[in-house]
Amino acid sequence: MAKKELTLNEAFTSVEEIMEKLRDDEISLEDSFKLYKEGMDMLKVCSEKIDKVEKQVKMLDEDGEVSDFQTGTGE
Amino acid sequence: MNKVYAVGQINQYIKNLLAQETILHSVSVKGEVSNVKYHSSGHIYFTMKDNTGTLSCVMFASARSGLKFTMREGMGIIATGRIEVYMRDGKYQLYAEKIVQDGAGDLYARYLELKDKLEEMGMFDQSYKKDIPYYSRTIGIVTAATGAAVQDIIQIAHRRNPYVQLILCPAQVQGDGAAQSIVDGIEALDRYGVDVIIVGRGGGSIEDLWAFNEEIVARAIFACNTPIVSAVGHETDFTIADFVADKRASTPSAAAELTVVPYADLEKRMQDLAVSLFDRVDHNIRMEKNRLHQTVTRLQALSPGARIREKKMHYVNLLDQLQQVMQGNLMQNKHRLQMRITELEALSPLTRLQGGYVHATAKGKPLTKVSQVSAGDEIRLRLADGTVQTRVENTEKEKIAKIR
Repeated sequence: MAKKELTLNEAFTSVEEIMEKLRDDEISLEDSFKLYKEGMDMLKVCSEKIDKVEKQVKMLDEDGEVSDFQTGTGE
Repeated sequence: MNKVYAVGQINQYIKNLLAQETILHSVSVKGEVSNVKYHSSGHIYFTMKDNTGTLSCVMFASARSGLKFTMREGMGIIATGRIEVYMRDGKYQLYAEKIVQDGAGDLYARYLELKDKLEEMGMFDQSYKKDIPYYSRTIGIVTAATGAAVQDIIQIAHRRNPYVQLILCPAQVQGDGAAQSIVDGIEALDRYGVDVIIVGRGGGSIEDLWAFNEEIVARAIFACNTPIVSAVGHETDFTIADFVADKRASTPSAAAELTVVPYADLEKRMQDLAVSLFDRVDHNIRMEKNRLHQTVTRLQALSPGARIREKKMHYVNLLDQLQQVMQGNLMQNKHRLQMRITELEALSPLTRLQGGYVHATAKGKPLTKVSQVSAGDEIRLRLADGTVQTRVENTEKEKIAKIR
């Protein structure tokens, strides 16, 4: 968690900050486009953060080995 | 053969028997609270127990003023009331009128003691609490592999966002060695590296939940580098683990809701952001266009063509005004002329002809000199009421012409 990589929430916040800058009516059109591209790139990062693959539940054993966990074992 | 009694008869007999024992009309009993149920009617049903057995108890809503605290599992209490037979169930029970805490029940006392100790050490301090990540890609779970808790978590997590990786570290959650098993699970997941860990189990008695009140579990939760959500038992169960954890979920299902953001929410947030980004840029473009348009308009207003048009307009305006003034003058003068004519007419020579004077003309000219006419010429005489046509007989200078 201590990595410098942005979390999804930080990425979202960063897009919101970009939006805030875009809201400034004094901004030049060039900067406006630059920020827009930045925002869209950041949204792409957001989308990539959500690794859109359905995942099986895994089980971690005492040796630190991971295996598939059979769900539905019940009580 | 003995006499045969109906159930009601025999229950009534025993009830009467007990009722004769005056000591049972008001008796104080000491024990540990178990299976306490606060019924919505206001009545409280519970069992008192010690290591030799149990006693059914009830406190009616009408007697609630005799209880000043909330009874919890494992608390030591002294309940005072009467003992009577409850005929429907064929058992006797204590109808409590007054309940006080007996120091503290054994387990409950240990719970309180540890809670105070850890609290004093600052282990529950808000400043140590880590934030639960808004979005976790990998969620570790420490609970029994076969319990309802893990199923609840899997089900809810999957429903909210199937793209989240769940990693279960199976642990023994009750009985001997449970605490150590939970500690091992937390440490294993912390080493493995997940975004958040859920530690918990489903509901149970205070004994069942006891592992979550053990100091080693509390210390493992405190030492863990990964944020931990505790999810032990039901809404009303508070364990030491709940106090140390970075966040307490009332149930395992609630823990899944706390840690898994619904995928639909994420998608909507991304779409919303994309739309507002676009809107914003679109707005900026429109604003610049508008600015351009305004500048063009201003520039056009300053062009020579516009200036000429402006002068022309001015000229036309002046012309109009001038014509109006002229027209006015003309009318006024015409009017004045008319008045003069009227005045003049009043002074016309004809008015003077009344007294016998005539106005004579010859050859269309006023006759003022004799030399103007000679004999035979026609003369016109204008009188007041008409004209006379006559002819000259002769002329004589310095003499008045004779008129025939």
